Amino acid sequence: MCLGGCIFAPTKIWRRWHKVVNVTQKRHAVVSAIAASAVPSLVLARGQRIKEVPELSLVVSDSAEAIEKTNVAIKTLKQIGAYPDAQKAKDNVAIRPGKSKMWNHRYVSRKGPLIVYGTEGAKLVKAFRNIPGVELAPGGHLGRFIVWTKSAFKKLDEVYGTFDKPSKKKKGYVLPRAKMVNADLARIINSDEVRSVVKPIKKEIKKAPLKKNPLKNLNVMLKLNPYAKAARRMALLAEARRVKAKQEKLDKKRKQITK
Amino acid sequence: MEKGGVIVPESVLKKQKRSEEWALVKKQEIESAKKKKTEQRKLIYNKAKQYSKEYEQQETELIQLKREARLKGGFYVNPEPKLLFLIRIRGINAMHPQTKKILQLLRLRQIFNGVFLKVNKATLNMLHRVEPYVTYGYPNLKSVKELIYKRGYGKVNKQRIALTDNSIIEQVLGKHGIICMEDLVHEIMTVGPHFKEANNFIWPFQLKAPLGGLKKKRNHYVEGGDAGNREDYINELIRRMN
Repeated sequence: MCLGGCIFAPTKIWRRWHKVVNVTQKRHAVVSAIAASAVPSLVLARGQRIKEVPELSLVVSDSAEAIEKTNVAIKTLKQIGAYPDAQKAKDNVAIRPGKSKMWNHRYVSRKGPLIVYGTEGAKLVKAFRNIPGVELAPGGHLGRFIVWTKSAFKKLDEVYGTFDKPSKKKKGYVLPRAKMVNADLARIINSDEVRSVVKPIKKEIKKAPLKKNPLKNLNVMLKLNPYAKAARRMALLAEARRVKAKQEKLDKKRKQITK
Repeated sequence: MEKGGVIVPESVLKKQKRSEEWALVKKQEIESAKKKKTEQRKLIYNKAKQYSKEYEQQETELIQLKREARLKGGFYVNPEPKLLFLIRIRGINAMHPQTKKILQLLRLRQIFNGVFLKVNKATLNMLHRVEPYVTYGYPNLKSVKELIYKRGYGKVNKQRIALTDNSIIEQVLGKHGIICMEDLVHEIMTVGPHFKEANNFIWPFQLKAPLGGLKKKRNHYVEGGDAGNREDYINELIRRMN
């Protein structure tokens, strides 16, 4: 039987699709991403194939910007060792699991190197566009493998400023200060400055000794009261003397009676 | 990384030097500690000897005075005792809040807990309020000694630490001239100038339930029960509870 009513929580188009993010936060994010792209462990963790790349802040001379043809672009990628990454992207085109297929997200592929170029309107945009996976400067995991052209690299300084100078391009934006300036903990601990002031390692950790009853255990008693031995000795002697004296007294008395 | 190659051996050298220095300092410390310890032992020995003489003297003096007085046909009244030992007899349920507070102040938070107490007007009035919950009396030297030696724990750094070594006592009470067990016993027994600190150092005694039992908790000692002042007979109870 058909029950009346409506769907629970119908999806509405006035859902808040666009979220506001503070400008400074956005800038921090980009800056951190760029920094992460220079750390090999982060880039590897993200899954980029960078084994053949000579160095990680991969900067290429500006002549790359003049590349017009795609096959030249591929050749340069091969030469700088960035090709395996691009190849991975080409090979991994797959059909997306799940219902998104129906909503036009049919194919998924991996992301290859990110080419960042300096001057605007460089021809390389068109050349590199067709290589699958190669992309020109998106969100997601830190540590994208980035190929820089020289002028792009230089521009970084201008665009984002350094720790001391505020950026020229973005008003009043200073790079986020790192929490630890020297993040290599092991090195710091082992450094001379720290070691010379640090106290020696306490190797002997004192364990609380089991409490023994000094009234029963003579050695423990002596530890606490060194006079105890003498006192006890004297007490024993005195006792012996007393016993003897009493005996003698009794003997004397008794002898008389027997007499 | 050539610089790395140079730095590592240098830091190893520095570490060596530092370890040597530390070892030297440690050795010196151990030596001086040893010397100090032997001196202390002698001191403690002499003190203990002196105290035991003192106690004997007190006893014989008392007996002498009594005999003298009897001779003359008078009486020698014992000086009023300065030291009390309290034992909490009753549990924690259903108590008037003010007596509960007084027992807390006396550090008697558990049944069969015992503490020493100085006698003065203030403490006597407190005792009066909590009489049905405690039994108390005048401990003798043997009681004090046995309690402190067998069940003595000290309050070190707010922790209950066993008195296994004189150094523990010295650490806390050294500044009052109490450096060993005998000193502690003497201070308590004769209610010396630092009785308060010495007594507070001693954690409340956790005694065992008396062998042979109590007569009747609910009544006062005078009525054939257990509570309240039982003067010298506290010693007999202590023997059974220690």
